[in-house]
This record gives sequence, structure tokens and C-alpha cells, in this order.
Amino acid sequence: MILEVKNLQKVYGDKTVVNIDDLQIVAGETVGLVGNNGAGKTTFFRMLLDLIRPTQGEVLSKGENVMHNGDWKNYTASFLDEGFLIDYLTPEEYFIFIGSLHNMSVADVSAYLTQYSEFFNGEILNSGKYIRDFSKGNQVKVGIAAALMQKPEILILDEPFANLDPTTQIRLKNLLKAQAGNMTTFISSHDLNHVTDVCHRIILVEKGRIIKDFKTDENTLQELESYFSA
Amino acid sequence: MLSTFLSHQRKSFWRSRNKGGSIATQIIIGFFMLYFLVIAVGVGFGMTIFLPKIFPNQNVMTSFNGIILYYFAFDFLMRLQLQDIPTLSIIPYLHLKISKRKIINFLNAKALFSAFNVWPLFLFFPFIFLKIGAVEGPLVALMYVIAILSIMVFNNYFVLYLKRKSITNILFTLIGLAIVGTFAALEYYKVISIMAASNFVFSQMTTRPYLGLIFPGVAAAMFVINSNYLRRNLYVEEMGAKQEKKVSTDYPFLNRFGKAGELAALELKLILRHKRPRYSVIMGAIFLLYGFLFYKAPYIASDSFAKMIFAAIFMTGFSILSYGQFMFAWQSSHFDGLLINKIDFKDYIKGKFLLFTIICTIVTILASFYAFLSPKLLLLHLAAYLYNIGFCTVLVLYLATFNYKRIDITRSASFNFQGMGATQWILMIPFVLLPYLIYLPFGYLNRPYLGLMAIGFFGLVMLAMRSYWINYIAKKLELKRYKIAEGFRE
Repeated sequence: MILEVKNLQKVYGDKTVVNIDDLQIVAGETVGLVGNNGAGKTTFFRMLLDLIRPTQGEVLSKGENVMHNGDWKNYTASFLDEGFLIDYLTPEEYFIFIGSLHNMSVADVSAYLTQYSEFFNGEILNSGKYIRDFSKGNQVKVGIAAALMQKPEILILDEPFANLDPTTQIRLKNLLKAQAGNMTTFISSHDLNHVTDVCHRIILVEKGRIIKDFKTDENTLQELESYFSA
Repeated sequence: MLSTFLSHQRKSFWRSRNKGGSIATQIIIGFFMLYFLVIAVGVGFGMTIFLPKIFPNQNVMTSFNGIILYYFAFDFLMRLQLQDIPTLSIIPYLHLKISKRKIINFLNAKALFSAFNVWPLFLFFPFIFLKIGAVEGPLVALMYVIAILSIMVFNNYFVLYLKRKSITNILFTLIGLAIVGTFAALEYYKVISIMAASNFVFSQMTTRPYLGLIFPGVAAAMFVINSNYLRRNLYVEEMGAKQEKKVSTDYPFLNRFGKAGELAALELKLILRHKRPRYSVIMGAIFLLYGFLFYKAPYIASDSFAKMIFAAIFMTGFSILSYGQFMFAWQSSHFDGLLINKIDFKDYIKGKFLLFTIICTIVTILASFYAFLSPKLLLLHLAAYLYNIGFCTVLVLYLATFNYKRIDITRSASFNFQGMGATQWILMIPFVLLPYLIYLPFGYLNRPYLGLMAIGFFGLVMLAMRSYWINYIAKKLELKRYKIAEGFRE
């Protein structure tokens, strides 16, 4: 069990935003989190990443509470929003900085980045811009590439497909599928097509609760569509 | 249409998210304005008295005529630094069915609402009405009024024009100041005289009032040039500052400090690439002149360090204080990113200490030019330096853990009070008092050098305890991380 969530709750005022009794994720799974706005997806991810304090309960990463020490940071990479980017750096500086945190040399980083030239579509590297000057889609690309560069065992992405152009969406799907099995991936998405395509397991949340948790098969997309159109 | 725009402006102010903050800012700016306005009125009415005292050997009229061009030269330079281009506010209207002419009119009208367009009125008009009107008659006085207003309008739109063409930066202002300074020096040594030129221009107007009509002509021309430029370039991306190619940089010097060095380099880039933090550090360099106020020859001769220690500590530590008061909040936009990455809190705090030490060392080295007053001052500075890097850094970083207010660093620097809170003021108290408390007993015993040594020793002890403080503050930060991150997310 690489990730375990036990009795996790987050309450703002009198509103319970996240309320998950039990969730277990096995190493190598690709899990999709699906739910309408306000279902508590981002809050849940933030608690997984120890960015907000749960009102109750705990998140265990490899059996250790993420609040107690930062060991999970060694093998967990994530991109939730632009707040994760240091936007006054050039992309190169950002990659080198993130690489340095994982003891990668400048040469390691540039070697790694060469394989992403297709993903970047020639717009990211050597562009002579700071990250803040990029379009949102390109910022997302920088964030995802930086997350993957850390060769994480757990990858957490919040709505990675939003803001990306169609070509990049397909490339990202291929990237994620290629990693399946080696890496535990946890993504949220509003795009039912993509999420059923990439993920082996879908978790459906509504008002902070898990209301469905199932393995994907050929009927999953239809099931989800009928749920959301109801 | 103009009134609709203005009412939207008003709403955007009253309904802004951080209304409290912006009102407080406006009030403080209001006080500043009032203060300067009172001065302007005082000077304006007092001009008949001041002018003969300052320039005893010449006619009052000659002096008055002489200072007009000087005033507007400074006005021009001040505007270059401080006057904002009113642009962003029009973006929502550009795609609507509103003619460009109206939008431009709005921009032009809005640009006139500036304190720079109020001061000259109070500064010059009293003299014009009281003296010139009485001596030369109402027609000449009227022409003076027209001339002053015209030069003001000219400056207003000329500065905006320059800013829109993005051919302005701090360097130009400094060069401009140097030029004006040179002219003043030339004036002083009687090589050439702007005053005489200024006097010539305006005294011509006294004899031939119709010549005064040239001024509104020039102002109108500037207004038209500016409006035409706007009309041709009414595109959002072209109205802001031009983008230059950004390059990646690396500070090999910092690499030897490991992860802490990486983090310090990161923050150094933050300072260099944003106006507001850059400004707060540069202020430290400006405060280097503070010593000239406090380091008086008799104090130095009698070793009265008690009277000078404040200046020394303030000068060498101001950068730490002015940058450090908003500590962690500078990084509020990517604080989440720092938390989820593999960054040890200890390294993070170490990086801050490193950065502070570097800045403080540079400032102290710069301050050693005071040695020409007396080499004793170097000892004083050394004590102040040790105090600052030993104690002030710890104090600033400790208080930083109580700061939960987000700062948007991309916003402009001048008169920006966003993120100010009680902490910033509390910070000042121990910073100022402690060195006195340490020095005082030695001062009474008339052992000034022992007093300096005590302050320096205190700094050294704190410095020796640095790893303890790093652990302590890192723990604090770790405990408060949720609260800080939450505040920064808003």
C-alpha cells in the first residue's frame, strides 16, 4: 500500500469539504479522481501533499503520516497549479533548480530535457522568457515536465489536461500510459474521455465523499456520462 | 462616456478585494500629499520673502523667473520615476463598441489626476497674483498662469509619452539628475546660467505678453503627439513595457553552499527580477548617506558612539530590515511549490541567513567610505555589522514566521503598503533599543571602545549560535507552515 487515507476530513466553518473514511492505493496504480467543481478534489490533493492541515484523520505515504516528516517528498512529485512554479525563473533555471533538489547535475537535467523536446513543441526551452510570461498551457507543460523529471514513485496532477492543446493532451496521455505500472499516478480531471483512457481505476467524488470507486472497463465512460448527466 | 468610465474607476477602488489595505494606503499617500501641499502653499506665499534672501543680489522678479525652469526640470525627473501610466484599466473596454477616441480621452483625462499637477499651482500662483499682478498688471499675470499651466501639461504628457515608448528607466532619471546637477554647478561657478535663460524667457513675456501664447501651443502639440501615439498603438501588449530577451543566470559563488546556496541564489534572482524587492534593497544603499547626518566631528572627536550607533546599525542593517520585514511573503506566489518540493526547512532558513549575510557584508563594505571622516568609524561599523548579521537576521526571520500576508511582488514599489502589519513595527523596537542597552553601561563608565566591543561580542555570540537559531526558526516555520501557506494563497 503506497498511499493510504484514513478517516480524512477537512471542515471549513460548518461545511465539510472532504470526508474520506478509507482509501488505499497500491503501488503502480493509475487512479483518476472525478467530480464536479466543489467536490473537494483540490483540497484532497493539498492534504495528500501536506499543504493544508486536515481537520481529522491522516494520510499515510508508505505507511508514514505525511505531516510528520518530509520523507515522502523524496519520491513524490506533483503539479496542482501555477503556485507550484517559481514564475520569475526561465524554464531552464526552474528545471535546474528542481533537479538540484534531487541531486541532479546541470548535465543530467539537460539530458533529461532532450527527450521532452517533442512535448515542449519547441516553445519552452531557449525561449528567452520567464515562466510568468508563458501562456497557461505552456506553464502547465513546464510543471508536468518538472514533476516527471524527479522520477517519482508517486505522481499527483490536478487537472493536467485543462489548458493543454489537443496534441499535447494526447502526448501527455501517452507519457502517463507509458509510466503505468512503474509509477503510482493520481490525477484529477473533468475530461471523462481522457481520464477513462489513462486510468485503471476511477474514484468518483461528490461533496467531499467517495461515492464510487471502480476499475475501468469498456463501459466506464458510459457509466460516468450517465452519472454526470443525471 | 467619460463619467461612466470614472464611475467604474470609483467602483473598482471601493470594491477591490483588499479594500482596507488600499484605503489605508490612500490615506497615507493623502497625508504625504497634504504635507507637501502645505509646504508648497507655504513656499508659494513665502516666495516674496524667501527669494530676496536666497538671491540677495538680484531683483525678485529675476529670481522668480529663474527658478521656474529649474522647478519643471525636477518635476520632469520626479514624474519619470513616480507617475504611473493609466493603461490597465482600459482593457475591458477595448473590445466593446466604444470609439478609440473616447478611450483615449479617458486615458488623457485620467492622467491629469496627479499630485504633480497640483503642486505648481500652489507654488507659483500666489507669487503671480500677489506680486506680478500688482506690479505688471493682470494681463501679464494671466500670461504667467497660462505659461505655468502649459508647462505642467507639457511635462505631464511628455513623461507619459516617454513611458509609453518605454524609453525610460532608473538610469535615465539618474542621468537626468546628473545633467540638472551639472547645470546647477555650472550656474554656481557662473559658467553658463539656466536661471538667466529662464529669466530671459519669462521676462520677455513681461514686456510682450502675447509671447506667452507659445507655451499653450507647445503643450497642445505634446498633447496631440501623445494622443496620436496612443491612437496608433491602442493595443494592450504595446502599451506596457517592452519585453526583452530573458537569459538564464547562475551564481557559481553560491554553489559552494550546497542546497542553502541554491535557495539563496533563487532568492537573489527574485530580488533582481522584481521592482519592489529590488527597491527595498536599494533603499539600503540610499540610507548609506544617513551617516552624514549623525557623524558629526565633535561626536567623533569625543568618541560619543552612543550618538552614532543608531546611524551605524541602521545603515548597515537597513537592507536586512526593509527586505526582511516581508520575509517569506516575497515568495507567497510559489510558497506551495517550495513546500511540496524536497526542500529541508533548515536549508531554507540557512539560505535566508546566507543571503542576509551577503547583502549586509556588501553594504558594510560600501559604508567604509566613512573612514575618510575618521577610521574610528570602521570599528563602529564592524560592531554594527556583527550585531546585524548576528542578531538582526535572527530577529527578522523569527518575526517572519508571524507574517501570513500575501504580497504581489509584480506590483509597483512606490507607496505600496500591501503586506504591512504590526510585525513590521514591532521589529523596530528591539532592533533599535538593544544596542543602546548593551552600550549604555560602558558609555557611563566612559569606556566607549569597550561598549563597541560588547556590541560586537554580542553579535559574535549570536553568530556562533546560528545553527541553534536555524533549527529553532526552522521548527517554528514547520509548525506554522499551514497557516503561512494558507495566508499566501489568498
